[in-house]
Amino acid sequence: MLASLDKVADRLISLSALIGTLGLLTEVVIIMIDVVGRYFGAPLRGAQDITQMGLVLIVFGGMALCDRVGGHINVDLFEKKFPPTVIWLGDFISAWLGAIIFAAIAVYVLESAALSRMLNLATNIINLPKAWFQYFVVAACIITAFGMALRGIGLMLTGTSGKGAA
Amino acid sequence: APAMAETLKLAHWVPPAHILTKSTVEPLQNALNGSGLDVEVYPGGELGKGPLEQYIRAVQGVADITWGLQGYTSSQFPRTMVSELPGALPDGMGGYDLIWNAYDAGQLDKEFPGTQPLALWLSEPNIFIMKDRDIRTPDDLKGLKMRVSGSAAAAVMEALGATPVQMPAGEIYNSLQTGLIDGVVTGASAVGDFKLDEVANSYTIGAPLGRISFYLVMNKGKYDGLSADHKAALDAIAGRPLSKSAEDGWNGRAADVIESLKAAGDNTVYFLNADEAAAFGALTLPVTDKIVGELGAEEVLATMQGN
Amino acid sequence: MSSFALGVWGMVALFGLLALRVPVAFAMFAVGFTGIAILNGFSSATSTLASEAFTLAASAELVVVPLFILMGNVATETGMSRKLYDAAYAMIGSVRGGLASATVIGCGGFAALSGSSVASALTMGKVSLAEMDRFNYSPRLSTGVVAAGGTLGILIPPSTGFVIYAILTQESIGRLFLAGVLPGLLLLTMFVLTVSLLCWINPAMGPAGPKTSLSEKAKAMMGATPILMVIALTIGGIYGGIFSPVEAAAVGAGLVILFGAAMGKLTLRGFWSAARSSVVTTAAVMLILIAAHMLNPFLALSHIPQVMGEFLAGLSLPPLGILAVILLCYLVLGCFLEGFAMLVLSMPIFFPVITSLGIDPIWFGVLVVLTLEMGLISPPVGLNVFIVKSVAPNVPLSDIFRGVFPFWLAMLVTLALLVAFPQIALILPNTMIQ
Ligand code: NA
Ligand code: NA
Repeated sequence: MLASLDKVADRLISLSALIGTLGLLTEVVIIMIDVVGRYFGAPLRGAQDITQMGLVLIVFGGMALCDRVGGHINVDLFEKKFPPTVIWLGDFISAWLGAIIFAAIAVYVLESAALSRMLNLATNIINLPKAWFQYFVVAACIITAFGMALRGIGLMLTGTSGKGAA
Repeated sequence: APAMAETLKLAHWVPPAHILTKSTVEPLQNALNGSGLDVEVYPGGELGKGPLEQYIRAVQGVADITWGLQGYTSSQFPRTMVSELPGALPDGMGGYDLIWNAYDAGQLDKEFPGTQPLALWLSEPNIFIMKDRDIRTPDDLKGLKMRVSGSAAAAVMEALGATPVQMPAGEIYNSLQTGLIDGVVTGASAVGDFKLDEVANSYTIGAPLGRISFYLVMNKGKYDGLSADHKAALDAIAGRPLSKSAEDGWNGRAADVIESLKAAGDNTVYFLNADEAAAFGALTLPVTDKIVGELGAEEVLATMQGN
Repeated sequence: MSSFALGVWGMVALFGLLALRVPVAFAMFAVGFTGIAILNGFSSATSTLASEAFTLAASAELVVVPLFILMGNVATETGMSRKLYDAAYAMIGSVRGGLASATVIGCGGFAALSGSSVASALTMGKVSLAEMDRFNYSPRLSTGVVAAGGTLGILIPPSTGFVIYAILTQESIGRLFLAGVLPGLLLLTMFVLTVSLLCWINPAMGPAGPKTSLSEKAKAMMGATPILMVIALTIGGIYGGIFSPVEAAAVGAGLVILFGAAMGKLTLRGFWSAARSSVVTTAAVMLILIAAHMLNPFLALSHIPQVMGEFLAGLSLPPLGILAVILLCYLVLGCFLEGFAMLVLSMPIFFPVITSLGIDPIWFGVLVVLTLEMGLISPPVGLNVFIVKSVAPNVPLSDIFRGVFPFWLAMLVTLALLVAFPQIALILPNTMIQ
């Protein structure tokens, strides 16, 4: 059961990272077109709108994969002084705290997206709707929280920590 | 009997020394003095960074009162933004009257859901702030790179033959210095706020380039929940009186900045005569007509102007 | 409980969570969220969470973060970083710690164009850490050098730190930029001296390489031509007004990709993995920045800066004593807070004290920015150390903190020199601007 859920999580995490990576490459292309165009008096309309919203895809697209590869930074100053139970406790708290934080971001950004629609919020030059990008944040944070919760369940079942949580 | 004391949190993202404090925040605090309603200020983005989400912070109650520019989220304020366009404000009229005329007629309140506007006003007129370029006729702008913040300003620059460039406000200083942009169109008070006088050296005043509109809004639930005494004290200043105080402050600050630019001696400060200004108007005023027409906001503009 | 006491307990809780190895960002989220919820209501906390998460991830200024990481990753993937360090090794590798000194100087150069400590530490970290490892430099020295060297970004102009200080205090940006030049060069020199001293005490930290002939040097320099051209084009483009520092990050990344592809050094697979790993590093760095902004409203609501300001005003100390106490406050707060947040919170309170004592505000600005830099590398919340950790995942954080400590001391000495000799900061602005 846990193993098949893990496979689902893996696919979703890859998909999320794929969108982030495409977002990053789009930024490079858009800014280069804008810079060259501006030099010749014809900048790309709304380039800043696109790069700002593209950053949202990059940051949150990579979030779940970052957690999966242990990329979130923690302070290991006391690691060697702690007994295994304290290490386990730290991993356990990290996994569930992370899951709660990302679930909360998902819930409240979804709420905020409804407000964005009510206020008709969009980028200033080419009117990219803010809510679209907030929905992406919601989806990416659910995937991140899901991955963390799976790790938290694993820690509960085994009661030991193979390696550092993050 | 005096009502229970209550404290409102007012948040903004500019430093305490900004003209906002003297023109708007302090008059509000003074008017409420003795009413038991206090205003506690969180400047500099302490409760949340940057201008983009100030309105949302008031709606969601992060602060009770917030200050902001409609232009940062112009899609929310299509009708209010008409007040910013070149030629929208008739000579001799207050910018705050322009906006409140339409607001009181019920033509703008859909753009301010979840809040009670305490003040709505316009900045001093926009001017050309240039580095190493003197602007006397529209031809002088041909091909120049001009920083703009929104799509209406971009359309105005395109009408004048300049290339509009979008960039965050914090980058204007460096971009003028390196020559990435040749100039920027905004109010004179911004010259002081962003220290642009250190890098710009030629200022042209008097072309119809529009203005910038501002809001000070309060969370609707909080406003409705005030005691009768508190509400009476707040209502005595909210609306046109506070807006006038704010606008007077902006205009005064702009006048001071222009005087100091002239006094500095190493700047060109040029006031266009009526004919020269009209040459710019011939190109910028049609942009206003076009935008108003596309919005179908002819009636809003007429109400604003008191027609 | 008073809001001040709550603020203090919040910092204690933050320290406890960090000690348990909870990721830094999660700990800051938890403490910031709880603090805001208690002081300003639960719904205020939830909307701050949603708002900070989205606005920072959609910030025009922070677009540089993934782009500079990408540039560093592709430069490594295509072997350009390797060629650059081969060249540096041929030039000064025979000196103990030579590559580390070269890296500090590189950080200074990068700082001169980027204006941001985060960007400097990320890019220089990506480019240099694996290379110094290749020449058997101790990871403690190499990570310490990058974390410390990255802080030069906000002392050597252009500097985001000075711009924020100037706008908060209505001082001149131009004067502050000029005032940062000599202290920046002094600090750079102190860093190089620190490297030399460390390698003199323990030669194994940065082992000396063989002497190279003139022709070997020339050959190595030839090999580094592509990356040197990218660097020259990027710097030239910024100073020539062709693009902004933010855009320079994209242009630099784009040029490295184009050069790599043109020379056949960049496979599609390598390119994709470089881009994907850039996205992962971006997520780690940005999450910390977002979380740091959750702490900011908490600290503002707890009124800790006001209480400290009132305490200062009540002290009957001479001006230099007050200055010392203020700098000490920054050193302590710098252990927990992100630098710019600290500046915004504290300046409205400390600045009037400073001006009333007749202390030169430009000089004070330089001292404050230098102290903020020290906060960037001091435990437990040292942003630059976290950034270096994100690009050097295999080096324990404790090693980076230990590695950076000698450089922290070098900054303390520099700070003392600046306090003793204000002319170091003031001579340029006072002679070049009337
Ligand atoms: Na810099
Ligand atoms: Na620190």
